[in-house]
Amino acid sequence: MAEKSDKKKKVKVVTKEKEDLQQLMAAPIGLSVVGQSLDRTDAFLKVSGKLSFGADYPEEGFLHGKILRSPFPHALIKSIHVEKAKQLPGVVAVLTAKDIPGRNGFGAILPDQPVICGDKVRFVGDGVALVAAESERIAEEALERIEVDYEPLPPVFDPIEALKEDAPKIHEKGNLLSYNKLRKGDIEKGFAAAEVVLERTYQVPILEHVYLEPDIAMAIPQSDGTMLVEGPMQAPFTVRRNLSAVLGIPINKVRVRQIHMGGGFGGKEDSPIDIGCRAAVLANHTGRPVRLALEREEVTLQTSKRHPMVMKVKIGAKKDGKLVAFEGVIYDEQGAYAGLGPVIPPAGGSHIHSMIMMPGPYEIPNVKVDAYLSYTNHPYGGAMRGFGAPQVHIAHEQAMDELAEILGMNPIDIRQKNAFKQGSVTATSQVLDQSVGLLDTLDSCAKAFDWDRRYRETGYLDKERTKRRGVGIGMGWYRTSIGTSSDGCGANVYVHEDGSVLLFTGITEMGQGAFTVLPQICAEELGVRLEDVRVVQPDTDIVPESGPTVGSRSTTLMGNAIVLAARQVKEAIFEMASEMLAVPMEQLEAKDRKIYDQKHPNQSVLFREVVAKCMGKGKRLIGQGWWAPPMASLDPETGQGNPYFVYTYSTHMAEVVVDVETGEVEITDYVAAFDIGKAINPRTVEGQIEGGVAMGIGYALMEEVVLKEGYIQNMNLQNYLIPTSLDIPDIKPIILEVENKYGPYGAKGIGEMPNIPATPAVLNAIANACGGRVRSLPADPETVYWAIKEKGGPPKH
Amino acid sequence: MGTVKISFKLNGCDMNVEVLPNTLLVDLLRDVLGLKGTKVGCREGECGVCTVLLEGEAVNSCILPAVKVGGKSVVTIEGLVKENGQLHPIQQAFISEGAVQCGFCTPGMIMNAKALLDKHPHPSDGEIRSGISGVLCRCTGYRKIVQAIKTASQAGGRK
Ligand code: FES
Ligand code: FES
Repeated sequence: MAEKSDKKKKVKVVTKEKEDLQQLMAAPIGLSVVGQSLDRTDAFLKVSGKLSFGADYPEEGFLHGKILRSPFPHALIKSIHVEKAKQLPGVVAVLTAKDIPGRNGFGAILPDQPVICGDKVRFVGDGVALVAAESERIAEEALERIEVDYEPLPPVFDPIEALKEDAPKIHEKGNLLSYNKLRKGDIEKGFAAAEVVLERTYQVPILEHVYLEPDIAMAIPQSDGTMLVEGPMQAPFTVRRNLSAVLGIPINKVRVRQIHMGGGFGGKEDSPIDIGCRAAVLANHTGRPVRLALEREEVTLQTSKRHPMVMKVKIGAKKDGKLVAFEGVIYDEQGAYAGLGPVIPPAGGSHIHSMIMMPGPYEIPNVKVDAYLSYTNHPYGGAMRGFGAPQVHIAHEQAMDELAEILGMNPIDIRQKNAFKQGSVTATSQVLDQSVGLLDTLDSCAKAFDWDRRYRETGYLDKERTKRRGVGIGMGWYRTSIGTSSDGCGANVYVHEDGSVLLFTGITEMGQGAFTVLPQICAEELGVRLEDVRVVQPDTDIVPESGPTVGSRSTTLMGNAIVLAARQVKEAIFEMASEMLAVPMEQLEAKDRKIYDQKHPNQSVLFREVVAKCMGKGKRLIGQGWWAPPMASLDPETGQGNPYFVYTYSTHMAEVVVDVETGEVEITDYVAAFDIGKAINPRTVEGQIEGGVAMGIGYALMEEVVLKEGYIQNMNLQNYLIPTSLDIPDIKPIILEVENKYGPYGAKGIGEMPNIPATPAVLNAIANACGGRVRSLPADPETVYWAIKEKGGPPKH
Repeated sequence: MGTVKISFKLNGCDMNVEVLPNTLLVDLLRDVLGLKGTKVGCREGECGVCTVLLEGEAVNSCILPAVKVGGKSVVTIEGLVKENGQLHPIQQAFISEGAVQCGFCTPGMIMNAKALLDKHPHPSDGEIRSGISGVLCRCTGYRKIVQAIKTASQAGGRK
C-alpha cells in the first residue's frame, strides 16, 4: 500500500475536465513549449482550404493511370489481349506482367503481390493490366477493351479451411503464411490449479480504414534517370525500397516525396507501395509523368484491411479472481497477399504482435498461445490503428467480464487483481520495470466515470421496459515501437543565421499532429518558439532514414532523435553564448529566443545574435540525431523475450442504453484514461483519444466489410457505415503521465492505444445492459437482438 | 453534348461559364475554376467533404449538376476568408479548439457549420450534432468539432 501511494505522487494528470478531477499540474517547471496545447502548425492552411492534398495538384502534363482488376477471387490467366486497347486514340501504354522491368512483386514485408499478375489472380481486385492514357475517361475505356481469358480455380475464404490438406493452394508454398507460438510456465499445471475455467470463441470481421482522402500516387521520371514518386504515405522508405526493386534501379535513383495526407490509420502504409509501384512502372515505360488516383470503390476493393480473426480463449482462475492460466488460439486471416502480416524478426509484423498481446495486460504465470496466419482469396490484411491488438483485446476483455460474471465479481475488481503494475512479468516474461500506469488509469477512469454507483444502477430506464442501461470497461496496453531490429530514427536540425530553424525527419503528418509535436520538441530543446521551427516534408532525397510512421513510435523515437540533433547545435550556441556573457556553459539556459545566465536571469543574449556570431566564426549549426530503442528480442520457439521496450496503458468506461425490443444501442457516456508518459501537446493527445475511441465504437457497433464468395458487398460509404456525429458521445479523455525513462520528456506513444479498448468496453456495456453477449462482431441491432434472445429474453428486473 | 451557359454568384463574384449538362458542381469548382478547397471523398453524396453553400443551404457538390446553380449564389471555403486574409470565426474556432486533424473533412465540415449557424445562431450540442451529421470525420471523434462550433456561435459565428 505504501508503495502504491508513493508511486501515485509521480502520476500527473493533464485534463480539461474540471468537475471531477483536480488539475494537478500545468507544465512542469522549466518547460515552455513542450506540454503546451499550442495550435497545430498546419491548421490555418487546413481551415482556409489552402492546403493541397494529392488530388489538388495540377494535372497538366500527366498521363492518367488505371488498373484492370480481376473479376475472380482465384483463377489462372490463360491469355491477355491488349491490342484493341492500345489502338484507342489517347492511350499511351497498356502493360502486362512481361513489361515489368525489375521484380514483379511488392509488399511491405514479403514482396509476394504481383505489380501485374502474370499467371494467376488471388483476389477480386488483383491487378492484371495497367493503362496510361491522356485522360481518365480514355483510360477507363481502354480497360474495357482488354480481353482476358481466365480459368477459375476453387477459392478458399476461411482461414481455418485454408489450412486443411486438400484446400486449394493460393501460393506455391502453401496457405500457412506464419505459425507462431508462445509458451510460458506450465499450462497443464496452471489449469489443474484453476478453480474456474472459462472457454470462449470470439470472432471479428474485416474492417476498412475509411480515411476520407482516397489514395493517389504521382510518378514523375526525371531527366537524370531518377524516378520521383509523390503521394500521401506513412512509409516513404518502404515505398522507395519497393520501387527500386520493381524498376530494377538502385535506391539512390529513386526519390519519394510526401504530400499532405488526408488520414491514414495504418492503411497508407501498404497502399502507397501498391499504387506507387504501378504509377512508376507506367511512367518508366512512357517516359511521362503518370497520376494514379483511386476512386472510393477502388480504395475499398484494392487496399489493405484490418485482419479478421477467430480467437479461442481458455482462462483459468482461482475463486478470488486471480488468473493462473491462459490458453489462446488465433486463426488470423491474411487474405491474398502477405501485406503486413508476416514476422519481421524478432517481433515485427501484425501476426506476432497479436500473439504477444493476446493474454492482455495481466499477470498470468502460465500461458500458451498458438497463432496461425493463413492466406485466403480475400483482400489482404495490413495495419489498422492497433496492428493486430484491437482484435485480441476484444477477446481477452470480453473473457475477463465473462469470467467475472461466473465468479460474481465486479469487472473492475478482477482487473485490479491481475493488471500489470511496476515490476510485473508479461506473458513473454518481460519485466515491466518502469512507466507502468495501468492501475492509475483504472483508478482515475473509475472515479471520473463514477463506476461504482453506475454499476449498481443499471437496469430499465422506462416504464414500458424497453430500454436498459448498462456500463462496460475495457483495459489495454500498446507498444511504442515496431519490435524489429531496425527501428532507428534520424533527424537533422539546421539553425539559420536569423535564428530560424529547419527540422528534417522522415516521419509523415497524416493528421495525428506530428508536424506540431515534433517541432515543439525541437523548439523546447533549442529555447526558441514553435513558430521558429519549420518541418520539412519528408523527401527521401533530403531527410534522414526514419523508418515508417507507424507503431505509435514517432513522438518517442523521433522525439529522441530530435533532442540529440538539437543538443549538438545547442552546444555550439552555448559555447558562443558563454563567451559573450562571460558565464560558464553549465550555467546557461535557453528559453524564448534568449540564452540566460541561470544565476542572473536578467543577464541574457538573444538566440539570434548568438547564432549570427556562430555563423561568423564558422561554427557548425547543423545537428544530426539518431535514436534506436533498446534491442527487441523474442525467441521464435517459445515467444519469450522483450519484444517492445515500453508500453502505453489505458482504461475505458462506456455507458450504453440498449433497446431490448429492437437491439439498438446508444452510447450515452464515455470516459477513457491513458498513461502516456508525457503529453507533448495535450490538446493533440485528446484529439488522438477522441478519434481513436470513435473508431473503436464503429468496430463494436457497425463496421464490417461484407464479403460473399470473395466479392465485397459494401463498396461505398452508403453501405459501409462509419460513425457520424450522432453515433459518438462526448468522449471525456483523461491524460496521466507516468514518466518513461526512454522518452523525450518522458513521452510514450498515443496514436493507436485509444482505438483498442474502446470496442470491448462497448461490448461489455451491452452485455451488462441486456445480458446479450456479442461474440461475433459487429453488434448491430439484429445481432444484439438475437444475443438477447439467446439469453432467454431481456432481464426481468 | 452541347454546352450550357450559366451565370451564378460564386463567393460574391458574378460568374459566367459554359458547362456540359452532366458536369457536376464539384468538378466545375475544382477543375474549371481552380477552387480546390472543396474536397472529394466518395462522389456519392455520402461523406459530405464536398459540401458548399447553395443559397445558404449546405449541399453535396459531388452530386449536384452544375447547371442547377444557374442564377443562384454559391459559397465555398475560399469565400469564407476575408480579402484581408482574416478568417471567419468558425475557421478560427476550428484552429483554437483543435477541431482539425488530417483536414480532409474540414472544408466541408466548416461549410456545414456555417449553414447551421446562419440558421440557428445559438444551437444546442444536440442541434450541432444533428446539423453536422451529414459530414463524416474519421479523425476527430467529432467532440472538438462540436466544441469549435459552439465557440464560434458564442463569438457570433453568423458573419
Ligand atoms: S464527395 Fe460528395 S459526398 Fe462524398
Ligand atoms: S480531420 Fe480527418 S477526416 Fe476529419
